[in-house]
Amino acid sequence: MSRDRADTGSARRESIQRGPNPPSVDTEASRSVWHARWALIRRELQSLRSEKTIILAIAIQLFIAAFSSFLVVGLVSMYDPSAIEGQERAIAVTGEDTDELAAVASQQDGLGVDRYDDRADAHAAFEEGQVDAVLDANRDDEGRLVVRTTVPDEGLQTTVLVVQLREALETLEYTERIANADRLAEQPLSVPEAIEASPYAGFTYTILLPLLLFLPAFISGSMVVDSLAEERQRGTLELLRVAPLSFVDVVDAKLVATAVLAPIQAAVWLALLAVNGTAIAQPFALVGLVAALSVLVAAVGAGVALYAPERRQSQLLYSVGIVGTLVVSTALPEHPANTVAKFATGSATATSWLALAGYGIAAAFTLLALRWYVDRLEPESL
Amino acid sequence: MSRSEGPSIGPADAPGDGADDGFASKLRRLGRIARWEVTRSTGTIDRRTLLILVVMIAVIGVVGFVAAEDGLGLDDEIYVVGVDESNPYHDVAVEANQFRPVSLSDVEIADDGESGNVDLVLTPDGEIGYVGPNGEAAYDVFRNAVGSYNEGLMAAENDSPAAYPVFVSLEYQDRNLGLFAEEGFETEGETAGDGEPGSGDGGDTDDDTEADDDTEADDDSGMTTDPDADGMPSTDDGLQVPDIGGGAGEQTAPGTPGTLSPPFPFEALVLAFLLIVPMNFVIQVYGGSIMQERLKRRGELLLVSPASRTEIVAGKTLPYLLGLVGLTAAIVLSIDGGVLSIAAVFPFALLFLGATFAGAMFARSFKELTFVTVTVSVVLTTYAFVPAIFSNVTPIALISPLTLVVFDLQGESVELVEYLFSTGALYLGSVVLFLLGIGVYREEDMFAQKPIPAKIIDAIVSQIDSITARVHAYASPFVLSILSIPFVFGAQLLGVALLFAIPDAVALPVMFVFAAAVEEFAKSIHVYAGFARSRFDSTIRVGAILGGISGIGFFLGEKATHAVQLVGIPDLSVGTAAFGPALSSEPLVLVALFFAPLVLHIVTAVISTVGATRGRTSYALAFVVATIVHVLYNLGVIALVA
Repeated sequence: MSRDRADTGSARRESIQRGPNPPSVDTEASRSVWHARWALIRRELQSLRSEKTIILAIAIQLFIAAFSSFLVVGLVSMYDPSAIEGQERAIAVTGEDTDELAAVASQQDGLGVDRYDDRADAHAAFEEGQVDAVLDANRDDEGRLVVRTTVPDEGLQTTVLVVQLREALETLEYTERIANADRLAEQPLSVPEAIEASPYAGFTYTILLPLLLFLPAFISGSMVVDSLAEERQRGTLELLRVAPLSFVDVVDAKLVATAVLAPIQAAVWLALLAVNGTAIAQPFALVGLVAALSVLVAAVGAGVALYAPERRQSQLLYSVGIVGTLVVSTALPEHPANTVAKFATGSATATSWLALAGYGIAAAFTLLALRWYVDRLEPESL
Repeated sequence: MSRSEGPSIGPADAPGDGADDGFASKLRRLGRIARWEVTRSTGTIDRRTLLILVVMIAVIGVVGFVAAEDGLGLDDEIYVVGVDESNPYHDVAVEANQFRPVSLSDVEIADDGESGNVDLVLTPDGEIGYVGPNGEAAYDVFRNAVGSYNEGLMAAENDSPAAYPVFVSLEYQDRNLGLFAEEGFETEGETAGDGEPGSGDGGDTDDDTEADDDTEADDDSGMTTDPDADGMPSTDDGLQVPDIGGGAGEQTAPGTPGTLSPPFPFEALVLAFLLIVPMNFVIQVYGGSIMQERLKRRGELLLVSPASRTEIVAGKTLPYLLGLVGLTAAIVLSIDGGVLSIAAVFPFALLFLGATFAGAMFARSFKELTFVTVTVSVVLTTYAFVPAIFSNVTPIALISPLTLVVFDLQGESVELVEYLFSTGALYLGSVVLFLLGIGVYREEDMFAQKPIPAKIIDAIVSQIDSITARVHAYASPFVLSILSIPFVFGAQLLGVALLFAIPDAVALPVMFVFAAAVEEFAKSIHVYAGFARSRFDSTIRVGAILGGISGIGFFLGEKATHAVQLVGIPDLSVGTAAFGPALSSEPLVLVALFFAPLVLHIVTAVISTVGATRGRTSYALAFVVATIVHVLYNLGVIALVA
């Protein structure tokens, strides 16, 4: 086992550090217990390091973050023409009632208007590639402007064109509504001028950031499940019992070793985001939130691993449980992801702070419950 | 245990203990192992766990259903807006869920608007100001919220022509400009309203349709060249009276300008995604089962049985594969898909299982296995999902079989060539992964604890051994380079899919280096494995010979990827970076372009394999050099052609 290889050096050192066996005096004993705990925590972290598990874990998080950012950046730039620069595209405006349409469309960024009196000419120009769209505007009996739009079937370019046309037509709709003001009970509000704003801000705060903060906690929980289940199945949990530690201490050490990783990773993600220009209003609250969650999740993971007879079941229970918790948490007054977003944007309300306190209390309570359960557990039965 | 059997290349030609008896008894053994796998797996899930799982899933279902009704609320109140109740925009802030309105008297702004306790301020005279780092983003969201609020107001109006003064229909039409003539792939457009037509009052529709017919007649005279512009079924649906539901920001009914949407097969995509989800759970169980064999030497029992290891692995995999096919078929039936969907997802199931099998053979512990399976899930899901997003946009989408599912659900036909293009790499890739795993499915490797890279080297070496036993030691680089092609192809396609939406300035350099590095790695890693495990003499001469053979093999294999040119990927600049420019029609250039890569592949492979003779560090250095040479060559060729 890798652990054996990695530990040969440190094991020798530990055997020197470890107190007399059997422990003699009370103070000595408590010190040696602390030593043993610390050794166990180190052993756990070392196995993570030697198996490169933690590197893989971080790589996965990076990949997921890159994947979801890609989705959004890709999609936003595809469907938001202002996000990619492009040259002006000519569109043909034809039909019986073209004045308003032509006026509005020529105001639109990236569109140039050619007016054609004859529909056939407009379509011929379209076929020859002189214009990229034909807008055929006519009034119907009720005074509606009906615009028949023809765009080329040319993939990405068309996608951008359609979005540009939509913006122009929405502006046209607004001006037409104002012209109909006397027939409307309520006046539409004027839409403010567009400004240059990052289209990714909402995504960063509500999806990416919660993802980056929750994933480490879930991964920590999964590591506790695997670690305990594996020691059980390999029979090495038995060996740990010869250490001057109670079974509660053993489980505690595993919890500490993994749960501590999540807030550290979260802090690193927050720092990286801040460097990249995403302002994080309350980073300490967020790290605290992750710490509470990771203790909570790791304690639940440890409980599951000790309860279920085999690793397959415990992983199944754990992963279904995590998915379930995420779904069930929508029933909370504030979804955890929403709490994260509010702390990050600085819009935290009393509910957010209460939620944070609630997670802390839940973590403490779960930890106590786990200790109580482990205390009553017969280690021989595992 | 002394088994004379060499690593087997396929079930059909597996020699060894079972070679003397017939095909029927092989099948019988395979079936028995499959049966064991099923009974043992179902046996280990006890009633208690099952009950808990059922209860959890039920709770998830109920709460999920309730939650789906009123949204996830992830972006609730993330921005604060200072506005008085008398302001007409106050209602906008109340109705849009992203905003929390506070009264203007509570607003505190410091540092000249650099920070404050609000993101937006709406002054009584109608001006909108933004504050702090998120002010601009909040302003943008607010702008959209005003639009949605207006839609809500207009939906309540009685005078529908006044409230909806503009109607739009959208038609996609092929036009032949010469440029796109050779695209071997057609994106059938759909009209904007591919959802259900609004169920609102149909009375108005008649009028609109009349107006529509009127214009249609004119149109037909206009477009003479394209008789099959009729693929757009619902130009008339586009003229329905809007049926706007209560929820602002929801998809409004077709007709108004706001409903124009670019071609994006959202619904079909979500459904196609459904097909991938179960695989992620099944591979967890499958990986666990394989791993279990390796704990406490349990797998030894099966290894000493008369079954060959190919039969053991096939038998252990079969139930999961059949289960996945069954699940897929059930899902496909429930979403009204066809046989094509099942056929498109099948290679994916195979690849998921193959990657998990190889991963479970390499992993040292459950912890490692968990991460291997998660990596497999994430990478393969990306490979399936990202390209499919562009289903109706670019032919690149075809690299993912999910695109075929999307086409199937949209009722479009798919040609055999397209099927082979998007699934070929997957079939080959899964076969290679199974081969690698089976190569180390033997006593000396299964129960040994080694780091994953060392295990991978072992697995490759076991393939070298088997090729050596059959043909000659020098044949192995040739065969293994060819076998690596599906992975190289897959990695490069994934790279193209990930990068093509990003501006060329960033994407091109990354793609050049990435594509070259992937190819160099594929050409040299197996030779390095041979040197590392002393299968070849560590002399420069042997290194050069092996490199040359590997280069030739890779060159021949790579010719297969020229299939990409059939679907027009090199038209994209990122595609050119990965696969080289489209073939020119000039005969001399053609010949040069055909053989220049051969020289390149041999040269770079020799560089890195000669480095590999001197151990890991010199291999790494030589690999970097080879990659640089490769990049320079690619740049040169593109400059030459352009």
